[in-house]
Amino acid sequence: MIRLENIDTECFHALSFEIKRGSECKIITRSEYENRKLLNVILGLERPASGRVFLLDKETYALSEKDSCRLLSRIGVVLKDGGLISNLKVWENIMLPVSYHTGKKPEDLETKVKQRFNEAGIDVPYLKELIGRLPGPLPVHEKRLIGLIRAMLMEPELIIYDSLFEGLSPDMSDRLMQMTMNFHAEKQGRTSVYITFDEQSIKNVRADIILRI
Amino acid sequence: MTIINIRKIGGNIINAFKYLEGYYTLLCYSVKNIPLLRSAPIRSVLYKQLYFTGIEALSKVAAIGILIGIVIITQIVNLVGSNVVLTGKILIWTVVRELGPLFAAIIIIARSGAAISSELGSMKVNRETDSLRIIGINPVDYLIVPRVAGITVSVFILAFYFQVMAIAGGLAFTSIFLDLSFSQHLKGIFSALKFFEVLVSLFKSLVFGLLISIVSCYQGFSVEASITEIPQAATRAVMQSLFLVFIFDGIITVISFV
Repeated sequence: MIRLENIDTECFHALSFEIKRGSECKIITRSEYENRKLLNVILGLERPASGRVFLLDKETYALSEKDSCRLLSRIGVVLKDGGLISNLKVWENIMLPVSYHTGKKPEDLETKVKQRFNEAGIDVPYLKELIGRLPGPLPVHEKRLIGLIRAMLMEPELIIYDSLFEGLSPDMSDRLMQMTMNFHAEKQGRTSVYITFDEQSIKNVRADIILRI
Repeated sequence: MTIINIRKIGGNIINAFKYLEGYYTLLCYSVKNIPLLRSAPIRSVLYKQLYFTGIEALSKVAAIGILIGIVIITQIVNLVGSNVVLTGKILIWTVVRELGPLFAAIIIIARSGAAISSELGSMKVNRETDSLRIIGINPVDYLIVPRVAGITVSVFILAFYFQVMAIAGGLAFTSIFLDLSFSQHLKGIFSALKFFEVLVSLFKSLVFGLLISIVSCYQGFSVEASITEIPQAATRAVMQSLFLVFIFDGIITVISFV
């Protein structure tokens, strides 16, 4: 699913690892900066000085722009800040990738979205208010939740969580953790990767592999 | 001192060519990828751009158009008296050939040029372009192609609207306050108006629209990581748009009417 071969960057030297299909993996870095750098290298946003990166069996940095976007559309990534687009309302943010890549209409996914928010403990009256807002002033846990639901709607084979539980209240952290673990179990062969520098925040996450970088 | 100046001038010329190359590449990419507007999310960006750049500017364009129309018609009447044919000709030379496309372009540069480059610049600083790429969307396809289309269409329509408001509004005002015949002057304008002049005017507004959109988007996207780059990019977008619009206005006018 993810394979890094002898990656050299300003943060990493001769970094190599492989995450197999269907596994649940924790990657623990030394700092938030390294977290972001590692994610960028994996996703093809920051070319390393040397080494090769394989994502879903494709060499990331050998792909054309178009193929790279196509590959990334098969992966779900939940960023620490939610990765939301500031000039789109919450509903438009949730629908953006699914509508762009699959052409599905928002009304067809309404029930699914409601269910996901319900899992996170958000009731329908508040949800109605939330989806019409711009993401800028929202608290970070809501931004992450929106990013998580947006990624889940695409039903990806591989999902990467970037510091998802860091700085959250224990209650919210537990709910999101439960959602991610349920999501992993929903589909055979799905791979889940948790990247963080705060090991404590993912101590309750079930994992087959723990990588310390 | 001389050496430093020559270096500075040389550097500016190299920068100008780099910008022009970038504008040309972005223009070709945007035109080639116009079919992307079939995608619903990209079309939604186009509609928003048409609303902000086109529809929201209608009242300002109308007000400026009417005021310019009043000024020009009053000056013409002072100059040639009640000569209907000459008034019509001068009005067409000024409003249709020159001021319509030029003023619409200047209004859009002032209202939207800086706004677009700032918006795109802050999206770059906040890594929203990276977020788009992470969800498999090419930021240029999603952010630039619909903006180029939206701004170009807006300038094209607003230029025509400006001309109608300047001529009709100006004539209506002067017919009330200067006791001139509205219908006779309108007839004078239509008798002096040639299809070629309208065509050149529309072509100019199309070119201006493309220039403004490409320059504003390019400058917005050139912002890298620092928030201080955003106002610099906005200033460059406004100044370079104005400069290019005046250059192309001159070129098209010389080719068409000399």
